[in-house]
Amino acid sequence: MFDLFANLGLGLAVAVSLQNLALCFVGCLLGTLVGVLPGIGPIATIAILLPITFGLEPVSALIMLAGIYYGAQYGGSTTAILLSIPGETSAVVTTLDGHQMARQGRAGVALGIAAIGSFFAGTVSTLIIAALGEPLTRLALVFGPAEYFSLMVMGLIFAVVLARGSIFKAITMILAGILLSTIGPDLTTGQLRMTFGIPWMADGIEIAILGMGMFGIAEVFRNLESRIQGDVFHGRIGRLLPGREELAQSTMPILRGTAVGAALGILPGNGAVLGSFASYTIEKKLAADPSRFGRGAIEGVAGPESANNAGAQTSFIPLLTLGIPPNAVMAIMVGAMTLHGIVPGPTVLTRTPELFWGLVASMWIGNLMLLVINLPLVGLWVKFLQVPYRLMFVGIVIFCCIGVYSINREPGDIIVLTALAVLGYALSKFGFEAAPLTLGFVLGRMMEENLRQALIISHGRFTTFVERPLSAFLLTVAVVLLVIAFLPTIKRSREKAFVEGDE
Amino acid sequence: MIRIRSPQNLVAGLALIAIAVFAIWLVGDLSQGSLRVIGPAMMPRWVAVIIGVAGLIFVAAGLMADGAPLERWHLRGPFFICVGMILFAMTIRTLGFLVAGPLTMMLVGYGTSEVRKLELIIFSAAMTAFCLVLFVYILDQPIPVLRIPGTSIRF
Repeated sequence: MFDLFANLGLGLAVAVSLQNLALCFVGCLLGTLVGVLPGIGPIATIAILLPITFGLEPVSALIMLAGIYYGAQYGGSTTAILLSIPGETSAVVTTLDGHQMARQGRAGVALGIAAIGSFFAGTVSTLIIAALGEPLTRLALVFGPAEYFSLMVMGLIFAVVLARGSIFKAITMILAGILLSTIGPDLTTGQLRMTFGIPWMADGIEIAILGMGMFGIAEVFRNLESRIQGDVFHGRIGRLLPGREELAQSTMPILRGTAVGAALGILPGNGAVLGSFASYTIEKKLAADPSRFGRGAIEGVAGPESANNAGAQTSFIPLLTLGIPPNAVMAIMVGAMTLHGIVPGPTVLTRTPELFWGLVASMWIGNLMLLVINLPLVGLWVKFLQVPYRLMFVGIVIFCCIGVYSINREPGDIIVLTALAVLGYALSKFGFEAAPLTLGFVLGRMMEENLRQALIISHGRFTTFVERPLSAFLLTVAVVLLVIAFLPTIKRSREKAFVEGDE
Repeated sequence: MIRIRSPQNLVAGLALIAIAVFAIWLVGDLSQGSLRVIGPAMMPRWVAVIIGVAGLIFVAAGLMADGAPLERWHLRGPFFICVGMILFAMTIRTLGFLVAGPLTMMLVGYGTSEVRKLELIIFSAAMTAFCLVLFVYILDQPIPVLRIPGTSIRF
């Protein structure tokens, strides 16, 4: 217990320099700014803002990225409440009661309770990360390639089962992501694969470019189909701080939401999304008068928003300790960290503890900043939303172009970006989602590497994956999960779990 | 008599099969090695094979089960944006951002039928200035500002 606080102290010492605080603040601010743009979720926000962190020290860059991440999350909730446009799936349930509150003139209170709930959830999950960091890292260090491979298989199965929509389509997308990841040099022989002999394809596709193309530009394509402009927020924000009664109503939902969200967030796959849905369902079931839900019940904002943020934060745990991104947002974070020369995984904690604890501490600082600085500025975000979309998308595109160019100073990357954007648009036209593809893309490279190593160690025997007990256990979990997901009763309730937001 | 019951699944399946065949063809000259020492082609080839099988299943589903129709594609936005981005890629090195930026934005802006010319010109000019200040001067990114071919002007 003492260790935990000593470590957090170390982290705070790293994070709390004037420069880092300023970076975290700017990150939060920009994250919210881009995150409130309709249709721009956290993945696109991180990808678009990534170039801004180039040229910073790794620690500072990570701290700024954490700020951007939380800002983007909150930006998504802001548009969900004000415009009923969820910036991302985890904010879908927030639109139900949050937007109703806004229409009743209580937009400020909805935004306020979302920020307060998020801050509490963030604080608790920061402590969870700090507590689980070291034990899980120790576990990761005994993992061999076979265990890693099986763990990733399990993670992908989780991701498929917890994602919304067709399981079969999600699996196909993961495979497509893995296939995309094999473009570029072979890991052992260095032979080029599927590069068409083009020099700028020789290094394969950068994950940040994939994120910008599939989640940034492709989303612009989709948005241009319909006129979003009708949705400008005309109402009043009203007071931001909830009253005593509203706080009392929200206390238990925040506590429950935090617990549910933190637990689900650690799971691979769309844990964070599931958390907010689960929290909403729980609050509705527990409420004395469930009919209030959907008509501006503050519990319906407080619970899911806390769950959302708790999950957003605990999903860092598999990334930082095992080096495995549990969802598409974390997959982008892998790309961001790699560009700064940090390979996420157990070695971060063992070799550069100041980096690990600095990041953990800056998560908490990022949450605090959201509450004390971002919330009062909410009026400003609303103004920003009034920029007509016919100009806004031009800005988004040029930002992506500059961003992609500055990653490798390679104009060819912009061509790759264009191709990926078209691919992303096509996927949505056939009812496929880009998130499993992104996850498959990042895990694909790691899986290939670990598969090869595991088979070298076992002299080519595939049975190594079931002979090693830990690996066998992980694979069993994966198989059981997949079988359960296809059982008729579970299949139905799985579909039902996501219906709430689609009404 | 074969009847298409879900065009969306059918076309998706055909596209997946095409992608799989293309990928298998692309890694055709590479060795797949053995299980003991996996070669460069093993992973892409077998993943592509599974994708192809998935494609077949989608095709079958498209013929056997009722499902969604094809969705309409809106081409104006994607067309102008893609052309704009490709132009950016072609001009950023040779002419610099002062040319590439406004050029791209003027094109991209026409991606919507709501475009207003004067407004777009002003916006492009303002964004160009903003991006220059932000990326080149504040963030110190190595972005070519202005280059005129045939002269020694390089910023």
